[in-house]
Amino acid sequence: MPDVQTTAPASPDVRLEGVTKRYGKAVAVRSLSLGIPRGSFFSLLGPSGCGKTTTLRLIAGFETPDEGEVFIRDARVTQTPPYRRDFAMVFQNFALFPHLTVAENVAFGLRMSGVDRAKRGAAVTAALDLVKLTGFAERYPKQLSGGQQQRVAIARAIVMKPAVLLLDEPLGALDKNLRESMQVELRGLQRELGVTTVFVTHDQEEALTMSDRVAVMRDGVIEQLGAPRDIYEKPATEFVATFLGASNMIDATVVESGADASLVEAACGRFSVTGPHPPGTRLRLGIRPERVLLDAASGANALPAIVRDIVYRGVTAHLFLECGGQPMLAYVQNSAQSALDWRPGQAVAVTLPADSLVRLEAPPSNG
Amino acid sequence: MADGLRAGGFRLTRRWAGGALLAPPLALFLLFFLAPLASLLWVSFHAPSQSELYGAELTLVHYATILSDPFYHTIILRTLSTGGVILLLSLVLGYATAYVLAPLPPRRRLLLLLLLVVPLMVSNVVRAYGWIAILGRQGLVNSLLRDSGLIDRPLLLLNSFEAVSFGLMTILLPYMVISVANALAAIDAQYKEAAQSLRASPFRTFIHVTWPLSSPGVASGMLLVFLLTLSAYVTITLLGGPRMKLLVSLAFDAVGAFRWPLAAAISFALLVLALGVALLILAVLRPHRVQGRG
Repeated sequence: MPDVQTTAPASPDVRLEGVTKRYGKAVAVRSLSLGIPRGSFFSLLGPSGCGKTTTLRLIAGFETPDEGEVFIRDARVTQTPPYRRDFAMVFQNFALFPHLTVAENVAFGLRMSGVDRAKRGAAVTAALDLVKLTGFAERYPKQLSGGQQQRVAIARAIVMKPAVLLLDEPLGALDKNLRESMQVELRGLQRELGVTTVFVTHDQEEALTMSDRVAVMRDGVIEQLGAPRDIYEKPATEFVATFLGASNMIDATVVESGADASLVEAACGRFSVTGPHPPGTRLRLGIRPERVLLDAASGANALPAIVRDIVYRGVTAHLFLECGGQPMLAYVQNSAQSALDWRPGQAVAVTLPADSLVRLEAPPSNG
Repeated sequence: MADGLRAGGFRLTRRWAGGALLAPPLALFLLFFLAPLASLLWVSFHAPSQSELYGAELTLVHYATILSDPFYHTIILRTLSTGGVILLLSLVLGYATAYVLAPLPPRRRLLLLLLLVVPLMVSNVVRAYGWIAILGRQGLVNSLLRDSGLIDRPLLLLNSFEAVSFGLMTILLPYMVISVANALAAIDAQYKEAAQSLRASPFRTFIHVTWPLSSPGVASGMLLVFLLTLSAYVTITLLGGPRMKLLVSLAFDAVGAFRWPLAAAISFALLVLALGVALLILAVLRPHRVQGRG
């Protein structure tokens, strides 16, 4: 077993300090600093052009930063070429060498590192066993399915026992079902090996499923960094809230402040939020559609709304509501308790639980 | 059932369409290449005749001559070594040029490749006479050297192995550059990055990844260069003169002497050389491995 259970507070396996990368005038990564703890599964999540891939390539050394430093296991590698850095990578389209067999592909890195033939053979067999490709050693990449090629790419990387494993949207080329099963498998493999992993994806579900920590990136900056649950349930900015699934945005003004709760007023009515806020403060609030509660009869704290449209999705139904002239989205579970029998035009009572409302930072002004 | 039938019908029409597309070139190939080649082979097994294309008597004497006559050995060896040197030179120079051109943006690469082809738009004859004007006794090089007092008597630059190689290289190099540049440009940059992520230095990346992946382009370039060398008559004759004859010159000479059956036999010797070297190139480079089929 690799040494995962280090007792001392492990220093991060990958560290970026004030890294900036420009392409001409465009800034791909902007004074980025982050540390990736040993053994963790770390995701860089964001839309295309947010700088996540550039960040990965900076760690790999395929790009050199214009400013800042890159460390792998406390070694400064800012100017070190990729082939002298302690990492391995799984590429988006796998980049398996077409002229080499599966075994030769997996052995490539060991061969380049000067590992002798006998040791290479054993390591390759072990790696192929690990990704359940025993018996495929003599095949060529072209003779394999997409999922099998993916496994070879993973085997080729992990056989190097790298300090850090870089994954550049490795599941993007697979179809949906395969992708989901590979997510689970890849995560299991990562836990088993305890290898520090940096995973680049634009798929929020993938990031949430697999990661210990997620960094949501936009315009070359990390907007929020945290555990998947924090990122999803307590988004710091409107961008994070909307990028990770749908979110209702409500602008409200504080009318009354208490010790642990405040009453706010919005277009849809009055409701309470957690924490003391000075009256008159303008708040931008977000609430996930699945946290919006609906009831046929109006309750004490409820806001009146009207059902405008219903989209039946099987597991859930998406209800498009109108609440005080503002659109609002609510997801209703298809369970025995909540029969999906809402009709368009029907009046409903909406409750926004105070602990489900998050206060969002105002979007940074572009200028 | 209906679907299966329709699919079957579709396959049938596809096969017919394929056949229809293949038929004209196939017919032309049979009619104008394979049939004449067969008749040429037939001719090569006959005694020469003064009045006819070939005599009545069947004989192996032409092949026996080619195989046993030291003169032919010399010429065959010279043909092979000239071809070999040109192959090697155009490989090294062509690959280097292609390696520089390949990473350029497509538009610039295309423009430069086009520039490379411009000399090919001049007829071989014109080009060869151009070389004579440059390399001849009273040519540009000799007069410059004489005027600058470096030499007293003109250098014999023409009618030599060097002149022929030089002349052929200027024609053949573009073929190599274009083949290799296209092959190199088609290699996904991710392969090189993958190699570097696996501890391969740029040099080893080239040896283990770039070179094998470019082998289809190298092979096609080498085949073109070698086959064109074997059949390049004008350049060889004008720049090689009587002293630097290659196998193709002998075929022409035999035709000139109305020894058609010998000319036919020499043609087949050329064909065998071409096939042999082509197979050798394919065996060494194994371009098919890029397709990943062993």
